[in-house]
Amino acid sequence: MGSGAAHLHLGKLNLSILRDFYRREFLECIDKCVGTKALVWDDGLTGPFGLIAEASMLKEQHEVERMFRLEASGLPSSNVQNIIFITRPRLNLMEIIAQCLLSEEMKGGFVRKEFYLVFVPRKSLLCEKKLKEQGVYGSFASVEEFNLGLIPFDSDLLSMEMEEAYRECYLENDFTSMFFAAQSLMTIQALYGSIPYIYGKGDCAKQVVDMMRRMKMEMGSVEPQITPQIDNLLIIDRTVDLLTPLLSQLTYEGLIDEVFNITNTNVKLPPEKFTTAEEKKNAKEESLSEPKKFILNSADELYAELRDKNFNAVGIIVSRKAKTITAEFDERHSAKTVGEMKQFVSKLPHLQAMRASLGIHTSIAELIKEFTDSDGFLDSLRCQQELINGIDTDKVNSYIEDCIARQENLTKVLRLICIQSLCNDGLKPKVLEYYKREIIQTYGFEHLITLSNLEKSGFLRPHSARTYQAVRKTMRLIVEDINEQTPTDIAYVYSGYAPLSVRLAQTLARPGWRSITEVLNLLPGPKVEEVQQIPMGLRKRRASVTSSQSSMGEQKLTLVFFLGGVTQAEVAALRFLAQQDDGGTDYVIATTSIITGSRLLKALQEKIE
Amino acid sequence: CKILRSYTLEHIEERARLLEDATNCFHRCKNDFAVKQTEEQVKLMRIQRRLEDDSGRSYADLSLQATLHQLILERNSAWVERLRKDFKVPDKRFWILKINALAYGEDWVELERF
Repeated sequence: MGSGAAHLHLGKLNLSILRDFYRREFLECIDKCVGTKALVWDDGLTGPFGLIAEASMLKEQHEVERMFRLEASGLPSSNVQNIIFITRPRLNLMEIIAQCLLSEEMKGGFVRKEFYLVFVPRKSLLCEKKLKEQGVYGSFASVEEFNLGLIPFDSDLLSMEMEEAYRECYLENDFTSMFFAAQSLMTIQALYGSIPYIYGKGDCAKQVVDMMRRMKMEMGSVEPQITPQIDNLLIIDRTVDLLTPLLSQLTYEGLIDEVFNITNTNVKLPPEKFTTAEEKKNAKEESLSEPKKFILNSADELYAELRDKNFNAVGIIVSRKAKTITAEFDERHSAKTVGEMKQFVSKLPHLQAMRASLGIHTSIAELIKEFTDSDGFLDSLRCQQELINGIDTDKVNSYIEDCIARQENLTKVLRLICIQSLCNDGLKPKVLEYYKREIIQTYGFEHLITLSNLEKSGFLRPHSARTYQAVRKTMRLIVEDINEQTPTDIAYVYSGYAPLSVRLAQTLARPGWRSITEVLNLLPGPKVEEVQQIPMGLRKRRASVTSSQSSMGEQKLTLVFFLGGVTQAEVAALRFLAQQDDGGTDYVIATTSIITGSRLLKALQEKIE
Repeated sequence: CKILRSYTLEHIEERARLLEDATNCFHRCKNDFAVKQTEEQVKLMRIQRRLEDDSGRSYADLSLQATLHQLILERNSAWVERLRKDFKVPDKRFWILKINALAYGEDWVELERF
């Protein structure tokens, strides 16, 4: 289909079907107005939409002449017939839209223009009311909604890009995002067939499953007449495993995300490393200081190989690749016959692409290495390792104390304290109060609210029943001797710690959850198990040829949906499981958003002006 | 207890009164820790106000740590000691703070004296 998305159909589940579905819906939505158009984008949506419909395609085929950002300063002048606002349902954005409309009217009412409004993913009464209050609601020719659910990020990764989902569910008790999650799962089932087995753990997981059941009843007997392509659905609520995202990720992609924040598969990096001396001379001052943008996905062959490796293994792979490429380039000297020359030339574009991507990743790896070699990172990593091993978790940790005294980044301090709290099943009241007092005195009184938010959402809590030790043992969360170069266990993604969430998925695939009933009872939230009856005619026949890779045998496909976010390291761990021959299961991962510990905690912090 | 947020946003000196209201709210929901912290904050704000009157410099919106930092820079050791005692600042954090502040102010003579 469209360019730039060729990698999507390579996975076990052809995700370009989903992408095309959303794209069709979106185009239908904007094609409703006839004539030339300008799209006005809410900043938070440009990234996700870029993954669905490229700007160039919109311009060429759908009469989209201009694209603007939604800004309080109003709209740049243009002579298009239609202006379409595309926005999330947020009150502050409604105000900006109202301002834009009013200033547009001031500029000249007689220019014939039509205004449209598209809400993503859903209209909201409150927002419509706001627009009415501002007296501009009537100016819209129509108000639509476009239901964008799971956005395909990669051949095995889908995200709803709802950063606030965790905060909304556990702090504000607002479960709208769970409704969207359920809805997007229904979309998936409409496209890929009903999923026969549904498992889940946690409060929100139960909610989503209940909502799905209700939606199914509302649809009545209209079942999707497709042979199910997905065998299992596993819904994991983030509260089941809060510890994992707080730890420092140690995979290549995870580290890039921790240090530079990947948004919608794009990452912005400081430019110094990526410009050659020659370019520097030519480029103007300003373009040098601008961060450079890279797209990170499996379309880049080298990145696909590197992304999920432990960072300690990245250097070796990069240097080995560099050698093979140089060797292949050197083949041109040995090429004698015309035939050989021809063969070499045909390989050339591929080689050049490889060399370019090798250059980029060498530079990125250097940047990451600077970070991982810093004392701050190493010390905090050591501290984390001590805590997850349960060493002195019920005392005030002297490293954390030092960090506060040195006024290090508050998020880092909070992350460590939360890890301690989770590894100790809550802190002793005295210890907890000591930390809180230190933070308030050092960073200011306003953080009292952040602290109480963390307590409400389960990250910090006073002492309660001991469960961590038991869970750690049965689920083998700590693995002593891991091999970072050629891993044998998922624990490599955190250099010795296996994410609980992924262990749950692993156990579900084999030998099944019945073997860990006790652990499941220790973890918070209810357990869900459901079977959706699939009509006889649609059932997968044994050894059927539904997928082209029939040679793989009876590989099952499991969709793992993380409510409240997933880290790149967990994704890496699931991909690792999928590659194991004896695992018997392939994974597609869906999530409300891709998180790092810092982003998760930041969403819970209170912003004070 | 959420009422607190709106109070923190207010700008004028009336904040102290609003915070006292908040203290009452915390009392009612038996959040002892928050009560104590809010009271201390009020106390800190009052002291900052007094310091401001004395020296003419602004201390508003600084945390205790930042206030101490500034006072050390100004070599106002009387108040430093008093704040340290009143708010029970742990020794370790205080010494790190003091060394940093002295180094920042390039007060090498004072630093020698440790």
